[in-house]
Amino acid sequence: MNDHDFRNRFEELEAGRILGDLDAEEVKEWELLLKDPRCTRDSSLEFAAAAVEAGFLQARKSEVPRGLQEKLVAGIAEFVVPAPVNVVRVPFWRRILSAPQVAWGVAATLAVLLAAERFLQDPPSVDPVRSGGVVMLPAEAKSQLMQKASDLKETEFGGLADYGKMTGKVIWSDAHQEGFMTLTGLPVNDPAVKQYQLWIVDPKRDEKPVDGGVFDIPATGTVVVPIRNPVAVRDPQAFVITMEQPGGVVVSKQQVVVAIAKAS
Amino acid sequence: MQECITKYSGLVWSIACRYVKNQTCVEDVVQEVFTDLWKCAKRYDPAIASESTFIGMLARRRAIDFVRKESRRPQLEPLPEGEFQGHFSSEPTTVIRCESGDVMEAVKVLPEETRQIFFLHFDEGMTHPEISEKTGLPLGTVKTRLRRGLIEVRRKLRLDGGGDAAQPSNSINS
Repeated sequence: MNDHDFRNRFEELEAGRILGDLDAEEVKEWELLLKDPRCTRDSSLEFAAAAVEAGFLQARKSEVPRGLQEKLVAGIAEFVVPAPVNVVRVPFWRRILSAPQVAWGVAATLAVLLAAERFLQDPPSVDPVRSGGVVMLPAEAKSQLMQKASDLKETEFGGLADYGKMTGKVIWSDAHQEGFMTLTGLPVNDPAVKQYQLWIVDPKRDEKPVDGGVFDIPATGTVVVPIRNPVAVRDPQAFVITMEQPGGVVVSKQQVVVAIAKAS
Repeated sequence: MQECITKYSGLVWSIACRYVKNQTCVEDVVQEVFTDLWKCAKRYDPAIASESTFIGMLARRRAIDFVRKESRRPQLEPLPEGEFQGHFSSEPTTVIRCESGDVMEAVKVLPEETRQIFFLHFDEGMTHPEISEKTGLPLGTVKTRLRRGLIEVRRKLRLDGGGDAAQPSNSINS
């Protein structure tokens, strides 16, 4: 077979392979030609087939079953790359508001203060988070979660050892796969030296805790920290904060356990 | 990613339904396609293929792979399964235009008899034997015309043929 015939024959078999119509003999021939040094493969034929198929099918609007759509969206969680370190800085008024004696959850007050902040063009110093596809500040996102989630679980943190004075709460929604920690009295950390890391204990999923994200405490007072779980959490039984090396760790040795919030 | 699901799940579903007849299996295939997509999204290059073409290719591969595996059971015939394992075993050396208008233009200029087979296969979703029965053409002729038609469409879509490709949008790895 000369080069021209070889190319034509391989191209035809390759087209058959892409169309899924090679018979057993042709498969053997295709495999044989594939080993030939003259063989140069090219994905463009496969792209052309996909483009033709997509071209015809896009004119037809197909409805995906609702349950499947939800499964696909839920499946995203496994492939989300953990977000970069969330540095939480708390403006002065927010720290005051966040103090335990103030009704932090009063939505109207929050709305007024947020509006005031925007009016005064005070640039937000808190890294925004994405909640339900919308980018917003952690406190706003937390407030929205509290309004929309009907399955909200709330658990109190208890500080351990040197961190005994810290207080805090964690809220979590299985349905929304979203949660926030409100932490008060955690020591400020130097991110270049050590960072806080949250772990979610979900025995139904795995005996090993799930990474809930690395975070910093850049100022004294109360901070709202979003939970960043890269995988789906179904029934968290405990939330544990540890102190780790910068960037966090994949598996914690739990040498410094800062606080624990255990579901009752 | 969610936007991508909203935009392309219908296309993936349609392609999977075309090849796979059992609805539960279709759902499995659709989920596998999106798993493939998230795994290889970083390798998507909008200069080489549009999003719909790229996702369509993943869907076709998964669906055809599924059918081959199913049909292999009774036949016990070894098929080049490994070929379908990696998605980019060969890098594209020829960039083609993938926009819908260009593609349909390329199909339009195929010979009438080939165009008819293309329509029955890609639009109506008919298998080769079904096309053969409907048109009265021998099965071998249907196969050959489809294969040669595809090669011809690729030739017409080649950028080195003089066309300019519009840069498609990218919601896959954004």
